[in-house]
Amino acid sequence: MKNYDNFFDETPFQTAGPFLHIGCSPNSIGINNIFKNDLGVLPFEKESHSNFISISGSVFDGNSEALNDVMIETWQCNEKGEYIDGQGFARFSPNAETKKFTLRTIKPGIVKDLDGKFQSPHILMSISSRGINMNLNTRIYFEDDDLSNDTTLSIINQKDKINTLIAKKIDKFNYIFDIYLQGNKETVFLDI
Amino acid sequence: MKSLIRRNYEKQPIADYPDYKSSSLRAPKNKNIYIPSSISEISGPKFDKNIIGKLDNDLTLNYSHNNKIPIGQKIIVHGKIVDQYYKPIEGALIEIWQANASGKYLHPNDQSNVPIDPNFCGSGRYITSSDGSYEFRTIQPGAYPYPNRGIEWRPMHIHFSIFGKSFGQRLITQMYFQGDPLIKLCPMINSIPNEKAKKSLISSLDLSLSETDKLLAYKFNIILRGYNQTFFENRKEGL
Ligand SMILES: [Fe+2]
Repeated sequence: MKNYDNFFDETPFQTAGPFLHIGCSPNSIGINNIFKNDLGVLPFEKESHSNFISISGSVFDGNSEALNDVMIETWQCNEKGEYIDGQGFARFSPNAETKKFTLRTIKPGIVKDLDGKFQSPHILMSISSRGINMNLNTRIYFEDDDLSNDTTLSIINQKDKINTLIAKKIDKFNYIFDIYLQGNKETVFLDI
Repeated sequence: MKSLIRRNYEKQPIADYPDYKSSSLRAPKNKNIYIPSSISEISGPKFDKNIIGKLDNDLTLNYSHNNKIPIGQKIIVHGKIVDQYYKPIEGALIEIWQANASGKYLHPNDQSNVPIDPNFCGSGRYITSSDGSYEFRTIQPGAYPYPNRGIEWRPMHIHFSIFGKSFGQRLITQMYFQGDPLIKLCPMINSIPNEKAKKSLISSLDLSLSETDKLLAYKFNIILRGYNQTFFENRKEGL
């Protein structure tokens, strides 16, 4: 019988480098004639934009400088907590001048997990760029949700660290979520 | 419950690798915190095969103007996307990007004094078929200099971005070419401490395919994470 406890190693990561837009969002840098659309421009194409929220922020390096050459990818469920094919994926970069990104999406719902437990509403985020040898994974939670029973946050288990994963509410439709790669506000990154 | 095989960081690059200068201000100082797989990590975006145009995996033609072809050695890069049990992954999205034959990227941030090729953009994509296989036709990318500890040279390479079935399988990497003397000098490759893992990023010359198509071909198989196997009613789950 085959021994299924033996498995191969995952292919190692390498940095995405400074020119990742050529492959991942060519239209955003003016390579317009090959792919019709860049992927992940709208995470929920069929939803009404009137109930979208905006999550804005910057990615800061160890010199507290906001970066504009990073690519951010997000994955989330819909407002009912369901992961649906063809929805929920976004891919974006900070604006070249303002160095701020904005994710326009619907607010995810409470997620029912495979074991029947519930997770607080959250969005998965992956960050790639020059100088990042292996994509960084984190999660966005929301300040105005009940976060007391979430499995992931209870594993992190330190208030100041948990705070790095919580988007601050500005008003009904706007949140701020900054990412710190280093320093005393360093974001918690996850081994998923 | 379905869960991803835990990542082995000994076979991955070191995040803060002093020989690769750009990593010093961007590598987090704290270790990643392990969280067990939830439905959020084992689900992921699915991309419809019909987004892929006929020429999306042929970089020798997808940016051609007035039927002119790009300059350089035309090659085939092919292989399979499999999981850690070597099970083929169907429907995986592969996106690639690369420099042209002179080592120039068609990107506003590439300021090097090297010619662009008006018929080559270096961008391709493909979605794997049921046996996990993929194929690109492209131009052999040139090596290029970049500022690191002084000016250093990147070996010839193609960047790969892959989405498998779940967000936890996401992989971004680079493929190198067998026999390139610049490989052993490259700090980005050397950030991977494990020799076998390093070698797995080097594609191998594949003359079997080269004969039929009269093109040099390189083979590069990619292993995405698998799922832990658990017994369920006498059969293995997830096989
Ligand atoms: Fe490169």
